[in-house]
Amino acid sequence: MNELFEIKGGDERLLQGNEAIARGALEAGVRFCAGYPGNPSSEILETLAEAAKELPIYAEWSINEKVALEAAAAASFAGLRAIVSMKQNGVNVVSDFLTNLTLSGTGGGLVLVTCDDPGGISSTNEEDARLFAKLSDVPLLEPATPQEALEMTKWAFELSERIKNIVILRSVSRLSHTRANVLLGSIPPYENRAFFDTKSPFHTFPVLTKHLGRHRKLDEAMAHYEGSSFSRYDGPERAEMLVISSGSSWNYAAEAVEILGLTERIGVLKLGMTWPLPVNILRRYLKYSERIFFVEELDPFVEEGVKALCAELASEVGIKEFYGRSSGHIPICGELSPSVILGVLGDIFSISWRAEEYRARMKSLLPQPSPPREFGFCPGCPHRGTYYAIKEALAWDGRNGFVSGDIGCYSMGIWPTGFSQVKSVHAMGSGVGLASGYGKLGQFGFDQPVITVCGDSTFFHAAITALINARFNNSDILLLVLDNSATAMTGFQPHPGTGSTAMGEKVEPVDIETVCRSLGVGVEVGDPYDMEHTAETIYRLMQEAGQRVLILKRKCALVQGRQGGFPYTMRVDQQKCLGEDCGCGRYCTRIFRCPGLIWDSSVKKARIDEVICVGCGICASACPSEAIIRQQKAPN
Amino acid sequence: MEQFQGELIDRVFDRGICVKCGACVGLCPYFRYFDGIVAVMDRCVAGTGRCVQVCPRAGYKSTAPQENATDGNGIGIYRSVFKARASVDTLHEGVQYGGVVTALLAYGIENSFFGGAIVTDREGALAPSGMLAESVTDIARCAGSRYSAAGSLAVFNKAIKDGKGNLAVVGLPCQMEALERMKHSIPDGAQRESAVSLRIGIFCTWALDYRMLKDFLRANGVTGAVKKYDIPPPPSEKFVVFTEQGRREFPLMEIRGLVQKGCSLCRDMTAEHADISIGTVEGEEQWNTVVLRTEKGEAFFEEALNKNIVEKAQLPDQNLNHLSTASRNKRKRGKNAELELSREG
Repeated sequence: MNELFEIKGGDERLLQGNEAIARGALEAGVRFCAGYPGNPSSEILETLAEAAKELPIYAEWSINEKVALEAAAAASFAGLRAIVSMKQNGVNVVSDFLTNLTLSGTGGGLVLVTCDDPGGISSTNEEDARLFAKLSDVPLLEPATPQEALEMTKWAFELSERIKNIVILRSVSRLSHTRANVLLGSIPPYENRAFFDTKSPFHTFPVLTKHLGRHRKLDEAMAHYEGSSFSRYDGPERAEMLVISSGSSWNYAAEAVEILGLTERIGVLKLGMTWPLPVNILRRYLKYSERIFFVEELDPFVEEGVKALCAELASEVGIKEFYGRSSGHIPICGELSPSVILGVLGDIFSISWRAEEYRARMKSLLPQPSPPREFGFCPGCPHRGTYYAIKEALAWDGRNGFVSGDIGCYSMGIWPTGFSQVKSVHAMGSGVGLASGYGKLGQFGFDQPVITVCGDSTFFHAAITALINARFNNSDILLLVLDNSATAMTGFQPHPGTGSTAMGEKVEPVDIETVCRSLGVGVEVGDPYDMEHTAETIYRLMQEAGQRVLILKRKCALVQGRQGGFPYTMRVDQQKCLGEDCGCGRYCTRIFRCPGLIWDSSVKKARIDEVICVGCGICASACPSEAIIRQQKAPN
Repeated sequence: MEQFQGELIDRVFDRGICVKCGACVGLCPYFRYFDGIVAVMDRCVAGTGRCVQVCPRAGYKSTAPQENATDGNGIGIYRSVFKARASVDTLHEGVQYGGVVTALLAYGIENSFFGGAIVTDREGALAPSGMLAESVTDIARCAGSRYSAAGSLAVFNKAIKDGKGNLAVVGLPCQMEALERMKHSIPDGAQRESAVSLRIGIFCTWALDYRMLKDFLRANGVTGAVKKYDIPPPPSEKFVVFTEQGRREFPLMEIRGLVQKGCSLCRDMTAEHADISIGTVEGEEQWNTVVLRTEKGEAFFEEALNKNIVEKAQLPDQNLNHLSTASRNKRKRGKNAELELSREG
């Protein structure tokens, strides 16, 4: 048994923040878990799906976040505790259901975990999903440490059941992916009593009454929170400055104050619930200082709420001076770090904190900084072949065509690794929706061909509706489904096309080709490794009208690597390699750019990097002088 | 001129004056002939680019030393000019006019005067393209004019890459010029030139932009592959298309709008850089005009004549005068177009 799923608590374990959230849910007796993968949230459901193999709970990767919450709400309506996890973009997808669910209320405790990605490190946007809590009149909790993530998740279920509404727990990358020792509690005994009480239906009517009820519940949540131990204040009663912080950024604030030796001069308040703001707690600590400094990830969410409160309480707490995003002390976007806070406080309190000597010594010890690297497809990645074929087809076509892109590894088609063919990327499925629109612009003189691409997981998530829209409105659309049989970018979670579920159950895969055929659109299937033939197919399809789908099937290179590997050992014939000469011009390392190919500047020839190259062999067909040689690997 | 691909892109592709001769294609991955166009696939950084050296449009000006020397006749340097036709019409479904090109090629291949011939295949799902014909059957299949250069020199380049030699090359004046430029190109022009045994040039007033033609035909209800195109000699003023569905005629005026922009710069109607140049004879549909320009061309034609593959007759003075006038007019038009283009910058 995985020790993370031990029933009996009492021991400390080194847990990742996301594992702590999962453990907290287990300790709350969660039964139903759903989610859609996306960094930095994926490990929550992955952990719960593992737990579901050992404990009597259920976990699923849903087709998208909205369906995940709907499925989990069903469990809640039947009296079970349920959790959904997603990244910030997922909350956008969820929001339509969320803003209705909040009126109907819930049954068993229901918790939505959003893991935001400040800095957009692995996202197409930078977004503060906390605003959805305010929008939906839903309590918002922000744990600061893995231990608190566990405790707060557990507590969120209680709160949800107390106010009969969903609760949002917000993590960020640095909490989700940090590790710390966490003291485990115990997992309660399970009993099966799922039941939907038909006498207490869940709907939003009468809307005004329900809406009013939600606001009352928020007051109740605030009161309940103020009795909890998730707030914390460190510092003097008369402080030169009061830092108000939430979530993981509390750690940065506390650390900065300590490093600067300001613990006697600055007070640090940590808020665990940031919507609704705990008015009584704030009323008390706001009196401690005239200067308020807000430390929170992303939007000035607490900042604006507290400022409004200060206006309301001005006669009681006095006039304040604010430091934060609107004052320009904190950058308006990007991720926080201890040094950002050190910089602000160091400047305000005129304390030098940069150890110049240390920095100089570090610089002298490092011979040179690590070389700049760009985003790139893995060696053996089928997307490289796909974009190469697209590049060829678009060049042959010559009408200034482009790719309407979507979310997945293949978003990297905007960069040289995908020959910079992708010209727009937004949300999941949006590339196909955009293509559906471009396909109706012919009547306005638009004559550029558009190719849209989406992955297999994205196809199910949101692209399918856009494709049906194109079919319904007879839009001219060419969709390439880049079917690598994996939700590759987020870590190979199963989806409807893979044939297994989150809990490892074998199921009949949903076949994309059959789905498309049933819609009455033209469907062809190709192999992205066969770049020339694929390019010819794409070109031919580009000349046609109506709705056309080309499914390009090849396993993700990382999956293929685990499932038998690749057939070839590659080498570059140094005699045949033309290098920089006319006829080549470093084509393989300059244009094709697989990381398995390297330019040997000493002899001005290309070489294979044996460590990187997996042996897919497609570069051989890109070499103009047949210098890249495929040699069949000996069978194991 | 800088010998980089970028120069070729600036001077030719960005100006839309590529004539699809195919001379830059097949040397490297940066150009491809596909469905009637030469596509720039990627940007190259190699210097001494053969692409820019061989392009008949990159320098605008004709390489023709003949042009100044023989401005009087307009048809360049030649040893003899006459009319001719194939003696036996064996092969030769689809041949145009006297069938001399097809007859000469078939004879040359059959008797190993050359190992293969670079010709232009008929169109299928895609535009006509070059083909290395290595048998009489191949030759027969490619008989007839396409009114397009069809990038066939790409196939010539590939044939050389594949180690082929002893090739006859059939092409339009721009393609003959490209071969001439290739001869002087560095680093390997002379070596590549040695693979050419015979250059047969086809008279050309202009060539059509295949994709524009396709759109035009589609708009006029002609779909599917065209088996044969024809522009009967003046004064017919017609463009004739033969398809599976039958024969369609269009006024030549309508077709003129489909002429490649790059053709307007051309000053060479009679393929002055060929060994043998062949065209129609005004008013005589069963004959070709033949211009023998080099010793090599003359020797080969004499052989075919002796073997009774072709027969020849005197070209009436009036015809020669007309050809000469038409050729001089093309030179003038080309010069004017060049001036206009240089004003465009």
